[in-house]
Amino acid sequence: MSTTMTEAIRKTVLVDFTPEEAFALFTARIASWWPVRTHSYGGDNVTEVVLEPGVGGRLYEVTADGEQDWGKVLAWEPPARLLLDWQIGEARGTEVEVTFEPEGPGSRVVLEHRGFSASDPRERYSGGWDVVLGTYVESASKKA
Amino acid sequence: MSTNGIVLDALGDWTRRQIFDALKNGPQSVGELAARMPVSRPAVSQHLRVLKDAGLVLDTKDGTRRIYRVDPSGLAGIRAYFDSFWDEALGRFAAEARKERE
Repeated sequence: MSTTMTEAIRKTVLVDFTPEEAFALFTARIASWWPVRTHSYGGDNVTEVVLEPGVGGRLYEVTADGEQDWGKVLAWEPPARLLLDWQIGEARGTEVEVTFEPEGPGSRVVLEHRGFSASDPRERYSGGWDVVLGTYVESASKKA
Repeated sequence: MSTNGIVLDALGDWTRRQIFDALKNGPQSVGELAARMPVSRPAVSQHLRVLKDAGLVLDTKDGTRRIYRVDPSGLAGIRAYFDSFWDEALGRFAAEARKERE
């Protein structure tokens, strides 16, 4: 990846699940744990959260008003890896990668949300602004 | 998504996202933006106002023109928002796994 690592958000949790179980909980059973009250568009009105299996699958919330997309599956490699095109907020260019590795009797789950840079690297042809912005984000994330 | 709700709403509109993405490539005037968008100049101005109110873009005066650029602290805000967003989401994920193991 050409994305600068320093700007990515990286979170790790250890769970007492095998990678297979952890992957299934994260995907097929996402509605059982996702904090919809605070982490959705519809809040308390959200009746379902769905992550469709397989590349191209949609991640979306359901309310009485319909469906609202959160993302799309870019890579589906159970039980090791899941890659999502993240469409909430800063919609384009950010992606969320979740990996599931065996660790002891359970698994290490690592989530990386990356792409908060000024622009897609392929588009970086137009002078210094991206460099300035990149440096800014880098120092901001060092402070965090 | 309450804290940065205004940011998310501002980027929830397709045309606004196109404008925001265009500005990521460098500062531009309203006229320059309107020339490459399938919407009128007043509409572009309106979208820029929403982006500005959300803290996503800044504007400076250049003679009679107004030049818009991405506000880096707006992007940093989105990143900070998702940083705590994932803390809570993954916390719930781990809690659910613990609950099911018991």
